[in-house]
Amino acid sequence: MQPSLWSSAVRIFDLSLGQMLWSRRSVFLGLVVGGPVVLAVALRLAEASGLLFTLDRPRPAGAMLYGMMIWLIYVRFIVPVLGVFYGTSLIADEIEDRTLTYLFTRPIQRAAVIVGKYLAYLVCTGLLLLPSVVIVFFLVVPLGRGAAIAGLFPALLTDLGMLGLGLAAYGAVFAFVGARLKRPLLVGLLFALGWEPAALLAPGYLKRLTVAYYLQALIAHEMPQDGLRGAFLQAFREVPSLGTSLVGLAVIVGVGLWLAGRTVERREYVLEQ
Amino acid sequence: MGIVDAHHLSKWYGQVIGLNDVTLSVPPGITGLLGPNGAGKSTFMKLMTGQLKPSQGAITVLGEPIWGNPALYFRIGFCPEQDAFYERMTGLEWVTALVRLNGVDEAEADRLARGALDLVELTAVGDKKIGAYSKGMRQRVKMAQALVHDPELVVLDEPLSGMDPLVRRKTIRMIKEWGRQGKSIIVSSHILHEIEAMTANILLISQGRILAEGDVHQIRELIDEHPHTVHIRAERTRALAREFLAYDDVLSLKFEDDAVVVETGRPDVFYARLTELAASGELGVIHEVTSPDDNLQAVFRYLVKP
Repeated sequence: MQPSLWSSAVRIFDLSLGQMLWSRRSVFLGLVVGGPVVLAVALRLAEASGLLFTLDRPRPAGAMLYGMMIWLIYVRFIVPVLGVFYGTSLIADEIEDRTLTYLFTRPIQRAAVIVGKYLAYLVCTGLLLLPSVVIVFFLVVPLGRGAAIAGLFPALLTDLGMLGLGLAAYGAVFAFVGARLKRPLLVGLLFALGWEPAALLAPGYLKRLTVAYYLQALIAHEMPQDGLRGAFLQAFREVPSLGTSLVGLAVIVGVGLWLAGRTVERREYVLEQ
Repeated sequence: MGIVDAHHLSKWYGQVIGLNDVTLSVPPGITGLLGPNGAGKSTFMKLMTGQLKPSQGAITVLGEPIWGNPALYFRIGFCPEQDAFYERMTGLEWVTALVRLNGVDEAEADRLARGALDLVELTAVGDKKIGAYSKGMRQRVKMAQALVHDPELVVLDEPLSGMDPLVRRKTIRMIKEWGRQGKSIIVSSHILHEIEAMTANILLISQGRILAEGDVHQIRELIDEHPHTVHIRAERTRALAREFLAYDDVLSLKFEDDAVVVETGRPDVFYARLTELAASGELGVIHEVTSPDDNLQAVFRYLVKP
């Protein structure tokens, strides 16, 4: 009897996770994800040496810096980049390595290949990203006036959940892009680093066609309201309600994966000899 | 009804014709698909294994359409031409992971994978990473994944490519044995002597068309009228060359890097002597024997001449 989609997907997950974790891509993106950690260490060293300017704010400087890093580095840059590089490669790597044949000549639905690889993507990117956020939290939050880590811990958990949802949404979108297009990485980068920031700044409904729009409502940190920096950040701050965000992200994941699975089921993949 | 039936089957890649209006029925048993590189062998094999969808016409395998019919892969095993693997996995891990996709549990998958590796004589290296395998081992582990679920039909795309003479001889024996055990096997090659060693039943393919079906012997006579080139990568090429010069069937030879390239008028005799030489080990290790398809191209040009 033909195995179910789910059981086949779990087996593809088993087969793919190790390959994904120990790939050159993971080394490269590990360096990207390590960037904020290096920055956090540098801030701690600067503070220890007395070089760091201690801000006199109603909220502790460390918590504010951490919030900015979540907002600008993780949500705006790292999560989309991880989604693009891994999501577009779910099928593309198998084509490039010419190993897709082995998966497509087994008695499983082809959609199980993309679902299983998507699950491996979630684990792999989660293992890369989430420890980086935790380390940054513990390094940056105590800076300045030394905010109470315990008090901000729920915010860290919210951040981890929000970033996980971001990875899920971007991954589903780029899994479809990777299954459908011949040069998915270029298109993915244009979407993540071109279309998304541009659409968020545009007035009207265009921003609803981005993942970031729905992710913003889940960010637990407030941004500064004054000055040039505040005005810049404010431009990104039009956010939907929490419920709309969660439904929006769920729809993006569901539709993205459905389209990716449908594409893989129907499309011919011609491997180079 | 054959094991594979094609009815006006065509496949185009944009403007390029891969297979052109093929109608045939492949009988049970071992069938050789013979044609020069670019003739359409791989396209035909990809169509019969459901990786490609026909542009026109229809193909059925074991009585059922294959495109979009994954349940049929319980009954089919495919060994592709490309030398592509998950290099970090061991042979045993890889074959186990693939047979698990057939829905068997882990213990059963392990048992089946060990059995398949045993069948292709790779038990001793099953725990080594595939990245460390020789070309011959890599070819055989691909065959193991094709056989692991005991399919009725095995499709082998250029399975002997790059093997040394001893492994090649062993593999030919294996394939014949699988045929004797009742499996249907479709095996492609651009070297007639390889096919001839496995079966007398061949399909001749060129420029996307099936030129002839049936007995190999008539084609063989044509082949033997054309010199045959053999490329031998070996440890002691000069010693081999000295030996070859004494053979009356060798027409010419030259050196290329770590290989000696021989032109022979009687390839069957030459291959037999070469296998004996490799087995004796007197003149060092013979790493790889390949044959360009120039000689076969000449025969095909003759066959399609108006």
